[in-house]
Amino acid sequence: MSYGLRYLGRRFVRAILLLIALSFLCFLFTEMAPGSFFDEMRLNPQISPETIAALRSHYGLDQPLIVRYGRWMRSALRADLGYSIAYNSPVTPLLWSRAKNTVLLAGTALLLTWIFGVPLGVWTAARRGGFLDRTVSFACSFLLSVPELIIAIGLLAIAVRWHLLRVGGMMSADFESFSPWARVQDILVHLALPVSILVLSEIAIILRHVRTSVLAELGAPHVQAARALGIGQVRLLFRHVLPVAANPAISLLGFSLAGLLSGSLIVEVVCGWPGLGPLLLEAALSRDLYLVIGGILFSSLFMAGGYLVADLLLLAIDPRIRNDVAEEN
Amino acid sequence: MKLIRLSLHVCFFTAACFAAAPAPDAAKPGEELARVANVSGRYGGHLTIGQRSEPKTLNPVTATDAISREVIGRLMGDLIEINRSTQQTEAALAKSWEISPDGRTFTLQLRKGIRFSDGQLFDADDVVFSFNVYMDEAIDSPQRDLLIIDGKPIVVTKLDRYAVRFVLPRPYAAAERLFDGLAMLPRHLLEKPYREGHFAQAWSLNVQAGEIAGLGAFRFKQYIPGQRIVVERNPYYWKVDQANQRLPYLDELVFLSVGTEDAQVMRFEAGETDIVSRLNSENYSLLSREKSRLGTQLADMGPSLEYNFLLFNLNDLHEKKLDGVAARQAWFGDLKFRQAISAAVDRDSIVRLVYGTRGAALWGNVGPGNKLWINQNLPHPPRSLDTARQLLKSAGYSWNSAGQLQDPAGRPVEFSVITSSSNTQRMKMATLLQDDLAHLGIQVHIVPLEFRAMVDRVFQSFDYDAAIMGLGGGDADPNPEMNVWSFRGTSHLWHLGETEPATTWERELDQLMQQQMVTLDYAKRKQLYDRAQQLIAQNLPFIFLGTPNILASASSRVGNFHPALLDPYTLWNADELYVHGGATESAGVR
Amino acid sequence: MALKTSITIAALAAIHLVLLAADFCAPYDPALQDRELSYAPPTPAHFKGSTGVHLRPFVCAWTTVMEGEDAGGYKEDCRHEYPLRFFVRGASYKFAGVYEANLHLFGTDAPGKILFAGTDGYGRDEFSRLLCGGRISIAAGLIATFIALLSGGLVGIIAGYFGRWVDEALMGVTEVFLSLPWLYFLLGVRAFLPLHLSALRTFFLLTGVIGLIGWARPARLVRGLVLSVRSRNYVLAARGFGGSHVYLLRKHILPEIWGLLLTQAVLLVPRYIAAEATLSFFGLGVSEPVPSWGNMLSGLQQYSVLISYRWLWAPACALVITSVLYSSLADVLHSRLESQTT
Repeated sequence: MSYGLRYLGRRFVRAILLLIALSFLCFLFTEMAPGSFFDEMRLNPQISPETIAALRSHYGLDQPLIVRYGRWMRSALRADLGYSIAYNSPVTPLLWSRAKNTVLLAGTALLLTWIFGVPLGVWTAARRGGFLDRTVSFACSFLLSVPELIIAIGLLAIAVRWHLLRVGGMMSADFESFSPWARVQDILVHLALPVSILVLSEIAIILRHVRTSVLAELGAPHVQAARALGIGQVRLLFRHVLPVAANPAISLLGFSLAGLLSGSLIVEVVCGWPGLGPLLLEAALSRDLYLVIGGILFSSLFMAGGYLVADLLLLAIDPRIRNDVAEEN
Repeated sequence: MKLIRLSLHVCFFTAACFAAAPAPDAAKPGEELARVANVSGRYGGHLTIGQRSEPKTLNPVTATDAISREVIGRLMGDLIEINRSTQQTEAALAKSWEISPDGRTFTLQLRKGIRFSDGQLFDADDVVFSFNVYMDEAIDSPQRDLLIIDGKPIVVTKLDRYAVRFVLPRPYAAAERLFDGLAMLPRHLLEKPYREGHFAQAWSLNVQAGEIAGLGAFRFKQYIPGQRIVVERNPYYWKVDQANQRLPYLDELVFLSVGTEDAQVMRFEAGETDIVSRLNSENYSLLSREKSRLGTQLADMGPSLEYNFLLFNLNDLHEKKLDGVAARQAWFGDLKFRQAISAAVDRDSIVRLVYGTRGAALWGNVGPGNKLWINQNLPHPPRSLDTARQLLKSAGYSWNSAGQLQDPAGRPVEFSVITSSSNTQRMKMATLLQDDLAHLGIQVHIVPLEFRAMVDRVFQSFDYDAAIMGLGGGDADPNPEMNVWSFRGTSHLWHLGETEPATTWERELDQLMQQQMVTLDYAKRKQLYDRAQQLIAQNLPFIFLGTPNILASASSRVGNFHPALLDPYTLWNADELYVHGGATESAGVR
Repeated sequence: MALKTSITIAALAAIHLVLLAADFCAPYDPALQDRELSYAPPTPAHFKGSTGVHLRPFVCAWTTVMEGEDAGGYKEDCRHEYPLRFFVRGASYKFAGVYEANLHLFGTDAPGKILFAGTDGYGRDEFSRLLCGGRISIAAGLIATFIALLSGGLVGIIAGYFGRWVDEALMGVTEVFLSLPWLYFLLGVRAFLPLHLSALRTFFLLTGVIGLIGWARPARLVRGLVLSVRSRNYVLAARGFGGSHVYLLRKHILPEIWGLLLTQAVLLVPRYIAAEATLSFFGLGVSEPVPSWGNMLSGLQQYSVLISYRWLWAPACALVITSVLYSSLADVLHSRLESQTT
């Protein structure tokens, strides 16, 4: 399996290069964007420009780009992602505490999307042209067409108007006084709305892909042959169709995992879920440089990891790809 | 057996949490407390208030954003406070003060026997320490500039254990207003970080409850990242109500990080927050429609102290390569042109459509909300396109066959207006203005920019034609506006970096502002400032548009809800707020 | 199946035609403000009037309610009846940007107003803005798709055809593009642009930006397909016979790709229309007073507007309907493609 190791090695190197390129581009972009963190203070007639200039040099914001990038690189290699100007504290713990919340939200949504999406996709493919298939397809087209933003705002308005779900935040005000079971319940209640939005936005894609690949497989010669031999529908699906249809589904899983940290930005901002999204958006708008870069790299790390996991899974499961990789190496 | 043990644990746990809010400490002999007249209420309960995002720090010296300051203000006490309701100064930690006849020396007598929220005594050493920290150049506190007058710092000396003297480099009108917002720091907790050079890192959000103490009505209890910050009653708070009961009434105050104003309103409607500090008119109408169902208390405090305006770029562009803007400055610099624009602006529609009738039109920098300082004799000319056209004609402008306005040289008049994309009200004003000026044949391009990008153009690169911005709102007193109207001022937005006054009226304006700054008599100051307002309204460095009303809401649970025109609009009397109907009620879903 | 296809294509064609002639079909100038009619609801059509039942419907005028609980709202004032008329002379516009005309499909006598979709905050007719805005949004989607597929297709072909390190390098670049959080950066992009861009130039810039950001995904798909086609037997045979790169590309590879590109195009158009809407929502799109579905929806950011003035959801409905139609077309093309290759 040495080709496997070499493949892994190449992917790893590519991931590192990606991270370096990303970090430099982030620095460059934030440098080019006009304005700095302390501009908000300029509008206050009572603060002098000397104080603002002093604060800027205090945080090293007046150094040239290369110097700042070099210093940041050196500390990043020691896993120290710098200092947030707004919070006056290190970036890494800030990101870590929020990333946990995002993973909870996105992970739950991912789980639910797959739990509902895959069976539905298989079912509608098996009963192609039926009533269920047509309604589900229509619903999918509809959901795919509506931008996530509109789904989020629409569901939010419905939830508030009819007091259906807890709106906003992750915990109630007196969370600490709850028993452990009540705490879990409280978080679940708060999760309901943002998870619904995410699931509705994503399920259509999964459903479609699963349906298409299962349909393609159902029409394949070996499946036709099996059916002619008298093998029942259910066994046909599980034994012959699914293992092959799994390939694109696993790539999709990889994509979903990759986008775990970054895909829920809009939902978090609209619902007030305390994840990475609102933190990074505000940091980007206020030019809190190191927090933005740290956050982007965090997400990219996840992304690279997700793609890698997907590729590894594919390598393990699909023999065709194993052969291709062996050939290339 | 296991079940009994489990339930005992749960009971103990719950009891421990509920028993957490400290009861007000009994009054000690020798403690000089401040009595607040006409205030009564009942003890117990907690209130939740929403914030746009979470606070960034609890350090009063380095905090720059309004959200952090909102929390810090409840934890800290000042020597002299500005009562937001009356807009006058009141004795706070300093029970009395004397001003020398020349207005330069302030001698403050501190209250005796006052304790910080951790029980340690407060005296003049803390005051001197605090001011040293504020004025320390190494720390770069934004409040340092308040204490530097004419380039020289205020000198602070301790007279005895409970008396402090401040000497100003020159007389400064309403100097006692400076003390509001300068929190008194506990020397016993902060002297060590200060000497060791890491003061800026002290009192970040990760602080332990035992490391932070203040003289405010509340003390820090808990911080949950990204969600909320909880402050609890300060048992040693030095104010009592009319029945000599120690304030505050509330056990706890919870600051919830909610997000945009709309999200705040949504959660307020859902019963998760009790107070919304500032509403726009649409949300106010929304809540008033629901009022009978929810029992909400709504307050419309009238026009605020901020002023929104259209600003033309009159900066000196010799060194910059901005030929396009420089060419257009020929129009902007013409007073008749600016007067014509001002005559064409439909201020009524701004008040109606942008502020939903809850606002006021402005023709000068001081609006009707500032009763102490407004010049009542300024004219308020109604909108008139005819007047505008006549003014333009007399300045040599004409209209071509397509109806476009042309300057005397024949160039069509066309310019861009930048504004912050995040401020919907100013964006709306820009759209209305664009349409108004189209009636005059002027083509206006609206360019929404991200806030910092806009600030960069206005303050640094000067690469803009016109901008819609807002200033003011901090205090009613004219002194904080010095930097806007003085020709040397750093907020003299239309012409930054002047070393000499560019026009005669700017020279006169500067003289007036400098004079009112050192005049101690209110009537004489008012006269000077009236003349200043007249100059500003006549010469139109800014074309004033309007100001919104201060709107706030509170749930039916909140007692003593008295919002004010100055920031913090609803929490300035947080120590007087109480919960109707009992201590154990929590903010549930309605 | 064939019926569904024809309906889809007919509906799409109808929508595009109407939007192309938006100035004619819209009764009013989309930028005309009427400050007395801010947030007015759609005018109900009446058939029964003071002189009996008409075949031709009419509308009444909206007047503001002055006092009482509904103060600030609108009620109908039916003292004057304004019948629906066709081929009305109204606000002038430039047909195809050249001919000055003022004929509108329908309208009514002044000072009456027919408001199919109510008005926005400045009293501008929402229906007119819907049509003119749709023209801009759909054009943005189409042009951006063209740019994305052109650039993505080129990169994909080059990467897939030449393979090895060219492929690795180009795919690395696409990964960087896919990983960058563009929303954050776009928020600052407007700041670089010169202030004096006309609305038209901003529009082209916007579509260019969307297209240039979106090339990465099509590139990956095209590259995958080219890789598999390249290794097919007949292509290898053609190479063996000495076919040049250009010949191979033209004869064997490109025909395989058309199908994919077409399907991608139909899939991407609604996504890019939505992208334009999202960008305009955040203030990065066409600027006032030019309407687009995106900046019309940005008014819905405010919760109070969202729930009080439901007629302002019209652009969202239009967006969804257009996207659904495009998706259906994509489905049809996809199944056509599948049946051709199997």
